[in-house]
Amino acid sequence: MAEIKSAGDAAMNIAASALRAQQARMRVIAENMANSDSTSRTPGGDPYRRQVAVFEPVAMDGGQGVKMSRVTNDPSDFKTEYAPGQPGANAQGYLKLPNVDPLIEAMDMREAQRAYEANLNVIETARSMDSRTLDILKK
Amino acid sequence: MFGPMTLDDIPLFSMLRGRLGYLSERQRVIAENVANADTPGYAPHDLKPFTLATPASSIQAVAPAMTSPMHMVGVAPRRGGGGVYKPQNSADSETTLDGNSVVLEDEMMKLTQARMDYDAAISFYQKSLGLLRLASKKPGSN
Repeated sequence: MAEIKSAGDAAMNIAASALRAQQARMRVIAENMANSDSTSRTPGGDPYRRQVAVFEPVAMDGGQGVKMSRVTNDPSDFKTEYAPGQPGANAQGYLKLPNVDPLIEAMDMREAQRAYEANLNVIETARSMDSRTLDILKK
Repeated sequence: MFGPMTLDDIPLFSMLRGRLGYLSERQRVIAENVANADTPGYAPHDLKPFTLATPASSIQAVAPAMTSPMHMVGVAPRRGGGGVYKPQNSADSETTLDGNSVVLEDEMMKLTQARMDYDAAISFYQKSLGLLRLASKKPGSN
């Protein structure tokens, strides 16, 4: 037997899918931040490459939720630094550094936080509308 | 064939029910927009403004199923209820480089508005129920 869902439930499920997606995005940002100094261990090798979360709409409850469909690499160039003492430095003494910019990550993190709050707001509103409806039963 | 009388037979209640259905549907559409605030290429939707003519034309109502011959006759589908309202693309105000045109502030405004309208409709519904209750009471019993 089909489960009967209210529009409030649908709204909450959609917002919850966005909460999950933003959490996954936060995880990717955390990886980038944590590895912002991870250089190669072999001489001349590539360091950590920045990752980007990609979102995609997904059909749910007669609407469109969201999910993190994949994580792609950021193809931008690595920075280089003259550090002949490092194990990852190449024959000329240059070391490749990850293409992670802490400022960009901080901005991304703030955006994820803002989106997360907005979705919590949706859940809160859906909840209060549902409980207002149940209030009709009182008295 | 006539089934038992329901609240929806009173035009005021069926109108209010249509309004409540519209508002919760709108809230779902706003939830979609907020959820996809960071999805590349996503354009926000909104519902067409509510009119009292809308519920009468596009109605999908629920009728109870009879699973045993001992059951009372179910009420036939009738007017009022959360009909199908087509989402509408909202005006493009700002589009980011990845093609997303959701403005979170606008969505929050719409969400709050939908919630206030919903509260108003619910209060109206409760007041109308109170009137019915008053009318069905014994005089002077209070």
